[in-house]
Amino acid sequence: MFVNHMINQLPLNIQLNDIATFANFYNGNNQAVVKYLQDSLQFKNQPIIYIWGQEGTGRSHLLQACCHMAQQLQLTASYLPLTDYKEWQPSILEGLEQCDLVCLDDVEQFAGQAKWEEACFNLYNRVQAAGKQLIVSAALQPQFLGLQLADLVSRLAWGLVLRLQPLSDEEKLIALQLRAKNRGLVLSDEVARFLLLRCPRNMQTLFTALEKLDQASLAAQRRLTIPFIKEVLVL
Amino acid sequence: MDPTLWHQCLEQLAEELPAQQFNMWIRPLQAQMINSNQLYLYAPNRFVLDWINDKFITRIKEVLFELHKDQQLEIIITVGAKPLDTSHKPEPIINKKVEVEVNEVLPIQSVKAKREIHHSNLNRSFTFANFIKGKSNQLAYAASCQVAENSGSAYNPLFIYGGVGLGKTHLMHAIGNTILQNKQGAKILYLHSERFVADMVKALQTNSMERFKERYRTVDALLIDDIQFFAGKDRSQEEFFHTFNALLEGQQQIILTCDRYPKEVDGLEERLKSRFGWGLTVAVEPPELETRVAILISKAEQAEIELPYDIAFFIAKRIRSNVRELEGTLKRVIAHSHFTGKPITLELVREALKDLLSLQDKLVTIDNIQKTVAEYYRIKVADLLAKRRNRSVARPRQMAMALAKELTQHSLPEIGDAFGGRDHTTVLHACRKINELSAKQGDVKEDYQNLLRVLSGD
Repeated sequence: MFVNHMINQLPLNIQLNDIATFANFYNGNNQAVVKYLQDSLQFKNQPIIYIWGQEGTGRSHLLQACCHMAQQLQLTASYLPLTDYKEWQPSILEGLEQCDLVCLDDVEQFAGQAKWEEACFNLYNRVQAAGKQLIVSAALQPQFLGLQLADLVSRLAWGLVLRLQPLSDEEKLIALQLRAKNRGLVLSDEVARFLLLRCPRNMQTLFTALEKLDQASLAAQRRLTIPFIKEVLVL
Repeated sequence: MDPTLWHQCLEQLAEELPAQQFNMWIRPLQAQMINSNQLYLYAPNRFVLDWINDKFITRIKEVLFELHKDQQLEIIITVGAKPLDTSHKPEPIINKKVEVEVNEVLPIQSVKAKREIHHSNLNRSFTFANFIKGKSNQLAYAASCQVAENSGSAYNPLFIYGGVGLGKTHLMHAIGNTILQNKQGAKILYLHSERFVADMVKALQTNSMERFKERYRTVDALLIDDIQFFAGKDRSQEEFFHTFNALLEGQQQIILTCDRYPKEVDGLEERLKSRFGWGLTVAVEPPELETRVAILISKAEQAEIELPYDIAFFIAKRIRSNVRELEGTLKRVIAHSHFTGKPITLELVREALKDLLSLQDKLVTIDNIQKTVAEYYRIKVADLLAKRRNRSVARPRQMAMALAKELTQHSLPEIGDAFGGRDHTTVLHACRKINELSAKQGDVKEDYQNLLRVLSGD
């Protein structure tokens, strides 16, 4: 019987928690969006902001960064990723206007669900009446989300609607290297380029790949080289 | 009292929990320390409360007890909002022996309702003076003015209906503000229909229907927005029916808005529909071009921005649906101008609104790219996927591959696969080739730009 004597070091079951902040967000072409978000929290000048952009443009990161900044400003905040809405009831939106900041991520997810749309519409009205702040994110502009409740669409379009531009390949390279650096990993230009050439190029997938590589490199005590990446990601 | 206790606890939990979990469940909690040994944690709703109790309370307690180890600490988690008045102690009385007690207390607003200070909920910025009149809304405007000047006797109820974002709510507030101006101390109550329903449910739960009735039936004018949301809520309709009758009998003014003509609201009782027609029913239509231009200029003035007429005209011609969208568009232009430090010119407007003005918004897929490219070069999609390598199909294929790389997030191997199972190096070669040719040959560059424009709508 073949026994593998090469036992990998098991990494501790502690995930490095990439706290999403503005500081570790690579702006690329999106400086304006970042600035509007930061200003809105600091100066309370935009009660409703709607940000949209394709998957992997950093919407969730930015919304969570807003929550983080709110905490620094001693404000309460709430973040709801609506990709998980099926696990909850629309009543989860009740009372959220008590928070100074409410962030709803991926609202297109519940498009066509009348109860959710109405609950979101009601939350919008309550947030506005309470003078609090709402930041909503989605993949497309409000008019194209497939929402059935016209009242909700028009209200979402009433705020400041901002688009997140996807990063160019060169910018993705920088963003990847920045994320790696924050995790204490060295990701050379060559290796980063290889990842970009061979993996789906949305940032979410790339970051997930990086996370996997981080774990694997720790376990195997190896640097990130192209052969190692090929082996881990089965490319 | 240690105001930083909860903050320290938050910092520690942020380190331990996945960011999403932390942002979702822990951050919304509001904390209040009472008597230096009681920490109240307020969850926004029952759902969050249950989740916290189920998943996080043990760890929260551990962290808090560790941070506060020198003294006893009682933690009470409950649904509600942190009272604004710090001297207020939440109800009900807590059993001192229990460290963590779960209770649902009324938000402070409800507790304070006993010492009723009347809030009209009116938005003072909505007035007749800043309402832009046009053909689309002149009748609704005139009727609203009449009602504002002769509250309770001119048209009762006044029923304003029309699509979203056309100014119904503005007119409603303007009426309320004018009544208040004419009659100091008048009791006006504006609310969204959801609030009426929520108040009634709460009154039923807390056995306080008498107070509820008194609140709604003693006003000089009741303004309820979006009554289409009463549809299907039978108990609320019943209560509203009685409120409606009582107000009408007392010659108190009722103003209602709805997104459609009352008879067309499904799920609304017939007797309500017929009563809504007793007074005056007026429609607001989408604003015509001149009105849209005037609205933009007026909104810009309110924001202390100078908006040239031709630019207002440019925007108004393109944004037709409703006033909210017009306002949202203007906000975007103003924000863009602030950020870039440039004045508002046609060029800046085009840049700021390029997403809105374009037809983009459809998802760009490899299929879509292949179809568009094939149509552009008058070849078949099958040619793009086939093995043939003569130039008449090879160049369009390279073009389509380069566009797929530019406009989608697919990996190069995936793009190669979608083009008849080609290798990722072929895709890479295609991208380089198109890039190279674009720099040298005007027609390739033009083709690329044209296709990019068609596909992305820019």
